[in-house]
Amino acid sequence: MTQTILQKIARGDQGAVQDCLKSYGGLVWSLARRMLRNTEDAEDAVQEIFLDVWKNAGRFDPGQASETTFIAMIARRRLIDRIRHVQRRISADSIEDILAEPSVRSDKVMQTNVEAREAAKAMDQLRPEQRQVLQLSIVHGLSHQEIADTTGMPLGTVKTHARRGILQVREILGLGDAPSTQEAAV
Amino acid sequence: MKENMDERLRDLLCDQAALGLTEEEMRELAEFSQGAEIDAQSFELTAAAIALADTQIDEPLPAHLEARILADADKHFAAFKQEADIHESIHDQTTRTFQYAEPKPRGSFLNWLGWAAAAAACIALATNIYLTRGNSGQIAGPTATPTPAVQEKLTPAQQRDQLIAAATDVTRAEWSKGNMPELASVSGDVVWSDAKQTGYLKLKGLPVNDANKEAYQLWIFDETQSDKTPIDGGVFNVTADGEVVIPIDAKLRARNPKAFAITIEQPGGVVVSDRKKVAGLAPVKPNQA
Repeated sequence: MTQTILQKIARGDQGAVQDCLKSYGGLVWSLARRMLRNTEDAEDAVQEIFLDVWKNAGRFDPGQASETTFIAMIARRRLIDRIRHVQRRISADSIEDILAEPSVRSDKVMQTNVEAREAAKAMDQLRPEQRQVLQLSIVHGLSHQEIADTTGMPLGTVKTHARRGILQVREILGLGDAPSTQEAAV
Repeated sequence: MKENMDERLRDLLCDQAALGLTEEEMRELAEFSQGAEIDAQSFELTAAAIALADTQIDEPLPAHLEARILADADKHFAAFKQEADIHESIHDQTTRTFQYAEPKPRGSFLNWLGWAAAAAACIALATNIYLTRGNSGQIAGPTATPTPAVQEKLTPAQQRDQLIAAATDVTRAEWSKGNMPELASVSGDVVWSDAKQTGYLKLKGLPVNDANKEAYQLWIFDETQSDKTPIDGGVFNVTADGEVVIPIDAKLRARNPKAFAITIEQPGGVVVSDRKKVAGLAPVKPNQA
C-alpha cells in the first residue's frame, strides 16, 4: 500500500519533507498570508506550522480527511493562535478590501481537493449571510465582533450564522455524527 | 440540562474552529469536554475545508522561508532518529516497557497533546535508563561536556547543557513543592531561553506515574498570558525513579517566564488546569532571569 507524504514523515523519512513542501508549501503560505497579512508574521507562522506538521504527521488519518485538509487544519490552529495571542487586528482599510474582494472562485482555488470542492458546494447551499460570516471569519480571520462591526449585524446573529453554517457544512462533508443527539457522551 | 450542555459544547467547538476561543470559553470547553465523545477535530477539519474552498494559491513558498523550514526539518529528524535509536537500544537492553496514552482514532482535541506526551516520556525514560546504567558510558551524563563524537546524538541532559552553554538569555528556576505534601521532595531546576524558545526540566523526586490514569503537565507563566491561562508546556510521564531531564514543549511562544508549574492531569493533559494537584512550582527569582 502506498504511503502518503505524512505517513512517510511520521516514520522518519526525511526525504518526504521536500515532497511535503512542494505539495503544500504554497497552500500553507497562502493561508498564512490571507489570515495574517503581515509578511514577517506570516513567515514566522509558516515556519512554526511545518514544525507542527512534522510533529503531528503520525496523527493523520486518511480515513477521516485528505492530507491537504489535515495540513490546512494544523495551519489554521497555529494561525488562530497567532491572531488571538499576538492581538493583531486587521485595519479598517483591510476589512474594506476584504469585503470588496470578488467571491468568484478561480481555477487556482484549492478545489482539486475533495473536501474543498465539497465545502465549496456546501457553502453555496448556505444562506448568503451565513456564507458571508464564514468567509470573513474562517477565510479572512476576522473575529465575530469585527464582523458585527463591519457588517452591522448584531453580535449574536453573527455567532448564530457562523455556528449554523459550520454545522451544516460539517454534516454535508460527512464529518459529523449526523443526528446531533449522538454527538455527546451517554 | 444535558441537551443544553451538548448544544453549548457544539457552539464552543464551532467558535473554536472558526477563530478560537477566549480564555473563559476555553475553560468552559474544557469543562464540557469532560467525558464527552463528540469528535472535536471534525469541526476544525470542516473549517479547514471551508478555508481551502476559498484559498487561491497565487504564489509559491518563498525560497528563503523554505530554507528555514528545511533547516528546522533537519533538527527535527535528527532528534527523531536519536529518540528512535535510544528507544531501540532500551528495548534491547531492558525489559522495562514504555507506555503512554494511545490517542483515540477520532477523539477530542485533547488527544493532540498525547504526541507531545509520548515524545517527552520517551526521552525521559531514555535519559533515566542511560543515566542509571552504571559505566556503560557511551553517552555522557548530564553534567558532562558533549564531545564532537556524540554531538549528533545528544541526550536531553546534554541538550540542556548545550543550551546553558550557548544561549545568553537562559532563565533558571529551582523546583519547590506544590500543593501536594506527599511530593515535598521534588527538586531540580528548569532552564529556558526566550531566544531559542527551548528549555528543559531537570527533576528529581517526581514519582513514576501510571500513564493510563494520569500525566504530568508543565505550565509556563509568562508576560504574554494572564496567570489564569498559562502556556501549556507539554505533557510528560515519569517512568523510572531518579533524575530525569524533560524537554519543554511550549505550545505558544513564551516570553520572559516568571514561573513554571507542574500539575497532575488526566492522560493527554488538559487545556486549562483546575490546579488541584500541583506537583511542583518553580518561581523565577529576579536574579535568575
